[in-house]
Amino acid sequence: MATVNVTQLFAQAALEVNGKKLENLTQNTVISKLGLDSVAVMELVSFFEEKLNIRMPDEELAKVQTLGDLGGLVKRLVPAGTEVTF
Amino acid sequence: MPQVFNFPTLVAALDACHGWTDKGFSFLDRDQKDQFFSFEQLRSEAMRRSAHFRSHGLKQGDRIAMVIPDGEDFVPTFLGAVWAGLVPVPLYPPLSLGKLDSYLDTMVSILVRAKPTHLVTMGKLQQVLWSGLAKVPSLKGVITTEELKTPAPEGLSQDAAVVKEDDVCFLQFTSGSTSTPKGVAVTHGNLRANAWAIMRDGLETDTEVDRGVSWLPLYHDMGLIGFVIAPIFHRVQVTFIPTMTFVRKPTLWMETINRTRATITFAPNFAYALTVKRTKPEQLASWDLSCMRHFGCGAEPINPTTMRAFVDTFAKAKLKPTTLLPCYGMAEATLAISFIGVDETLSTDVIDADAYQQHRRADPVSVEKLTGGKAQEFVCCGKTFPNHEVAVFDDLGKRLGDRHVGELCVRGPSVASGYYLDPEATERTFGGGWLKTGDYGYLVNGNVYITGRKKDLIIINGRNYDPQRIEWLVDDLPEVRKGSTVAFSRPGAGSEELIVVLEGRTQNPEALKELVRGVVTEQTQLIAADVVVCPVGSLPKTSSGKLQRAKTRQQYLDGTVGQEGNRSLGSNGEKLVVARHVARSLIGRAQHRAKRVVEHTLEIRSVSGALEKLRLAGNYAQKRVSSLLG
Repeated sequence: MATVNVTQLFAQAALEVNGKKLENLTQNTVISKLGLDSVAVMELVSFFEEKLNIRMPDEELAKVQTLGDLGGLVKRLVPAGTEVTF
Repeated sequence: MPQVFNFPTLVAALDACHGWTDKGFSFLDRDQKDQFFSFEQLRSEAMRRSAHFRSHGLKQGDRIAMVIPDGEDFVPTFLGAVWAGLVPVPLYPPLSLGKLDSYLDTMVSILVRAKPTHLVTMGKLQQVLWSGLAKVPSLKGVITTEELKTPAPEGLSQDAAVVKEDDVCFLQFTSGSTSTPKGVAVTHGNLRANAWAIMRDGLETDTEVDRGVSWLPLYHDMGLIGFVIAPIFHRVQVTFIPTMTFVRKPTLWMETINRTRATITFAPNFAYALTVKRTKPEQLASWDLSCMRHFGCGAEPINPTTMRAFVDTFAKAKLKPTTLLPCYGMAEATLAISFIGVDETLSTDVIDADAYQQHRRADPVSVEKLTGGKAQEFVCCGKTFPNHEVAVFDDLGKRLGDRHVGELCVRGPSVASGYYLDPEATERTFGGGWLKTGDYGYLVNGNVYITGRKKDLIIINGRNYDPQRIEWLVDDLPEVRKGSTVAFSRPGAGSEELIVVLEGRTQNPEALKELVRGVVTEQTQLIAADVVVCPVGSLPKTSSGKLQRAKTRQQYLDGTVGQEGNRSLGSNGEKLVVARHVARSLIGRAQHRAKRVVEHTLEIRSVSGALEKLRLAGNYAQKRVSSLLG
């Protein structure tokens, strides 16, 4: 069964897309406080979509505030049975 | 000779689309699959939707708010409303992460002013919007884009409304860098004049040759007028990339131009910078942009360094430097005010800093003086169009000659009739026969040079400085977030003093402050009295991402700068914001339903049934709210 670690994947995305090292991410981490501008955030979203082969609908993104929220959205989009961890 | 089109109104232009089955608009989805609407189909879609609107009791002249993210829904809906003689009020959708609070505040303040009877949105966004909509008294109902896709209701007219040139076509709300948004009332005559200025006088379009590509948001003047309305008037095909898809993957812009062999595109300065940054060498080698005729750049100050970097980088993709088209415009003038000529390229004017700052004169000097801050460089935005006039006035209202800096004013058929239901603001901006642009600048042989916004001007020791110049200097420093520096003045002991506030990612703010002071003094001979380094994302911005100088200044004076989006509630606080909005949405919706039920009751005189519905609506709302708040 596949596992997705949201914090790990997010840190990897920030590093690869923005060259930014993020540490101590948890499911309570608020994305808007990580010092990423709105364009960078969308690029991270794009990274997630490509890695996990999913589509995050634009209108769902408005409700995502924390990595926990992001994980919740991912969970709904990945194939059933995939484990989402932080 | 290209075929020339001339229609008095947008409705007439759309009506004449009858029979145009091979050319039209393509809307890309996120997989870059096309959804093609021929001009003929756009006309029939507009007709069908007009019947839907009429089925809701909407009448000619009623305002209809639109919050529609997808272009393939937005464009036919907008056209359907115009076809029925309604006045659409396009609003930006809430698609960014977080910041829902300020989004809804802005939405409400716009709608309270525009007084729409209905709002059109997609079903999925309704839930988020309702908490704001309940505060808009004029609103009678919400229409979903899903409903508009169903077959037309029977027995309702699909005929075009009879509209005249001076009828208002839609309301264009300015992006709101001030606290009260103002709705520019754009008439059919304005659109006809500006579409002609852009497509015929400015770009010399040919329906057989030209093809546009745009990722610009459709609630913004450059996206809506430049790439939807003007191309319908002049039959230019356009491929639309969803704005959010462009932001996810900026290189898609040039990729689409290359693939569709496009000839025309427009974007603000920042997009050119982003594109240079994101494009990989192998992409450059594989693209051939020699098809392009116009790379328009406007809507925000044009940085010559950015534009030169774009030309240099994309020369490898066969970009011709003459395709670069700096331009100037604003919503109050419908869209475009001036373009450089089709055969001209980016050019700048280097002027003496002393004469500019002390005497408001633009005296040309050699380029060498730029190093050391003895000179300033401004981009040429070209001449205005036939039948339009641009002039420069000083603060006392005296018209100035060439190379004297003052407020740019415009007159001509593109200038809108005013702000909707706001006679005071209309008199201030449109009074006296000239549109006062609020921009300072100067003219040289009719060519327009913008130096800065009037309200942002910094005057220190009797010298004039434009904040933009100082901000660009600071922006170039490492550890400073690009496009997030604000310069302004505060009252000092003898004169005003310069303050620089920036968003930075640094371990050592003191060293960064020193660096900022150093570069500012070196390049402008100004001393920064205070430099404030704020966390990224904490300075106030408008919907289109522009920094709000006045608001930042006010926050600085109040001692609250850098705290936006960074409140101390923690992650639970952020969750609460969402929960609160969903809760308010449900309550707002329930109240609205209750109101409708009561209205209905008065008609049918069945009080008991209505009260039962009211009770059920209340129970439902309560249950949803408590489940959400856990």
